[in-house]
Amino acid sequence: MKETILKLDNVTKVYPNGTVANRDINMEFEKGEIHSIVGENGAGKSTLMKMIFGIEKPSSGVITYKGKEVHFESSMDAIKDGIGMVHQHFMLIPSFSIVDNIILGDEPKKGLFVDTKEAAKRCQELSDKYNFELDVNAKVSTLSVAKRQKVEILKTLYRNAELIILDEPTSVLTPQETEKLFDQLRFFKQQGHTILFISHKLEEVKQISDRISVIRNGVSKGTYLNDELTMEQLTNLIIGRDLDNDMDAYKTHEDFHDEKALVVEHLKMEHNGKGVLNDISFAVKAGEILGVAGVEGNGQIDLVKCIVGLQKTQYEGSIRICGTDTDKMNIRQRRDLGMAYIPEDRMGDGTAGELPISDNLISTYYTREDINGKLFMDNKKIAKVSDDLIKTFAVKTKSAEAAVNSLSGGNIQKVVVAREYNTNPKFMIAEQPTHGIDIGSAEFVHHKLIELRNAGAGILLVSADLNEVIDLADRIIVMFDGQISGYFPDGNDVDESSLGMYMLGAKHQSAEEIGGALND
Amino acid sequence: MLSSLFSTLFTMKFVQTVIRLATPIVFAAIGTFVAASTGIGNIAIESIMTFSALAGVLGSYLTGNAWVGVCIGFIVGICTALLIAFFSMKMGANAFLIMIALNTFADSVAIFTLYQITGDKGTTASLATPILGTLDIPVIKDIPILGEILSGHYILTYICWILVILLFILIYKTPLGMHMRACGLNPDSARTAGINVERLQVLSLILSGFFASLGGVYLSLNYLKIFSKAMVSGQGWMGIAANGIANGNYGVLLLSALIFAIFRAVSIIFSSSTAFPVDLVGAVPYFSVFFLLTLVSIINYYRTKRGKVEEE
Repeated sequence: MKETILKLDNVTKVYPNGTVANRDINMEFEKGEIHSIVGENGAGKSTLMKMIFGIEKPSSGVITYKGKEVHFESSMDAIKDGIGMVHQHFMLIPSFSIVDNIILGDEPKKGLFVDTKEAAKRCQELSDKYNFELDVNAKVSTLSVAKRQKVEILKTLYRNAELIILDEPTSVLTPQETEKLFDQLRFFKQQGHTILFISHKLEEVKQISDRISVIRNGVSKGTYLNDELTMEQLTNLIIGRDLDNDMDAYKTHEDFHDEKALVVEHLKMEHNGKGVLNDISFAVKAGEILGVAGVEGNGQIDLVKCIVGLQKTQYEGSIRICGTDTDKMNIRQRRDLGMAYIPEDRMGDGTAGELPISDNLISTYYTREDINGKLFMDNKKIAKVSDDLIKTFAVKTKSAEAAVNSLSGGNIQKVVVAREYNTNPKFMIAEQPTHGIDIGSAEFVHHKLIELRNAGAGILLVSADLNEVIDLADRIIVMFDGQISGYFPDGNDVDESSLGMYMLGAKHQSAEEIGGALND
Repeated sequence: MLSSLFSTLFTMKFVQTVIRLATPIVFAAIGTFVAASTGIGNIAIESIMTFSALAGVLGSYLTGNAWVGVCIGFIVGICTALLIAFFSMKMGANAFLIMIALNTFADSVAIFTLYQITGDKGTTASLATPILGTLDIPVIKDIPILGEILSGHYILTYICWILVILLFILIYKTPLGMHMRACGLNPDSARTAGINVERLQVLSLILSGFFASLGGVYLSLNYLKIFSKAMVSGQGWMGIAANGIANGNYGVLLLSALIFAIFRAVSIIFSSSTAFPVDLVGAVPYFSVFFLLTLVSIINYYRTKRGKVEEE
């Protein structure tokens, strides 16, 4: 019999405004296991973690940690007892060194002063012990995201965490980095640490977990041994029904006479003397989804910036949206041509967090006549537009006046998609449109993209999620190192491994084959 | 005429003048810096200096002891800082509005108080006020050149430079200072490390009030030896500007304060000449603030453009 490290008995959380985040949750966590908690956005995972970590107090129920009933007043109490948490948004200070970030709040002292030597020594030892390969004197601002995550993990280890909670740790990592993280987690497990893994990505959950607990609508749907659960069963437990995976069934095939929504020709751009985009040419036809696959950081971000008009540096080549050359056009002018844009960073670029949902739902077309009076904004019309959109897009909120950042990630994304959808675009850029949101919301977003496609819009889908690209795209291009390394004229006729060869640069098609991306 | 003016720029006397003029600006600068270290923008430095300058003189006059006057001066400064903390952090008012209000009525309140006590609206010249003197450092004062530069300054000038060193040690060498910087750079991460952000912010405001008030007291009890109307005249703002230029760099902070002091010294020397309009020469220090701030913005702009500025 394995030792139970953490036990939740009938844990319930009711927020002062009456929202029930968790109801009668019963769960047990064994020492030395990797235990995943899955559920849709807003299902109550975060609240549960906050209660375990002492940020929130349960309204009722008992939390038992290491055989002792605990009542954490703050996360400091949880940390003292050996619980660590790696937040989804890192809690690091970029201008501090790794050492300073790790020891902050618990510094080794020499008299009145911080013992910097001892601190560096301890941190380096810790980093070496767990094979983190970090130079602990480096500034955090110089580190990659994956390394920053390591620093966060080291912070918990420095405080002798036995139970480590990882909140969506892979959402910021490339597949290779995720693989490394998983090796690390398995190593922690060997060392006797217990890992609480929270993720939306079910493949990863299946890959890493010993056991899986599912939460739906604040209620526990049970804990299962990973081996006893198929992907279909897991999906079903999470959303309460089977997932509709076959997007092709929804596609209609009208003829839009080869109209081009976007034509990019010979696009070149340099950054700090290094070519980030090297002679890229392709076209997006009206009524099709062109998928751009690729490992993050191979030029996709720069490509999108050039097309949208966010790029400050000069690029060479031509970009035509709906037949008009966009040279020197600003974003507003490009949008007026019929462009819509779902940005990757929905909190930073996609929405203004503090503003109400209603404002965010019109922010890219507030000058349009149907929602504008002669001189002033027409609040009645705006209210109607936003109420309609909230309904059609099933945004979970009590009021259109609520601040957007009070919503869960999936619902924020729905707000962004709803707004862009409502501009009746002829051309849309969907950049990581379902990144980090739950499968239910993702499915919804996919359906809306298909709807736009069927109505004749050309969609450029940029995604690091291969399944998404394969499921949705009519044609696919693969980007590697600032170039198009492969072109697949039929999105149904590819599989992950063949795309993978081009994504990693192991294969490269001839110029003639790639030319099809523009001319087909 | 002009050449004689220029020749005074390169004398010992000029260096001494700069050191004297730098003292209040450095006090103001470290006062702003310490508040900024925990993320508080203290723009009430100017008014705190004004209040403390008056309180110092009155305290000294009423008790007959200059040091008691200094203490009363900094108690008033700290109380003003606590007032800001109370209204902004406890009552939820906008800190900047409170500080703007303080700055707006500082001079009037000081003059009103002055009139109530002395019947004079301009200065405390009519009060027999014990003041602080200068300090000759034994041994060093006899060393040529160095003695002239280092010895014979006002007592509060020495205290100023001691505090500059102590503040450096506090901020960069102690756990407390590390916590304060963490609060300023990322309050959320400080909080998750178990640091009480609000408490440290109040502490830094208290220190800020303390430093600024010593700057005020220096002006009234040490340097000018009286309180007079509008005597702070932007020196608090220069400290704030120095902090803006420094952007968290302690060395640059002190350097900028010194540069402002040099321009003040130049302006004072040139205003004794009739070659230039007095008002124009008097504006030189303020122009220097303007140009230095502009220069720094331009440099930062190009550094950002080249992608060399670190993300915050």
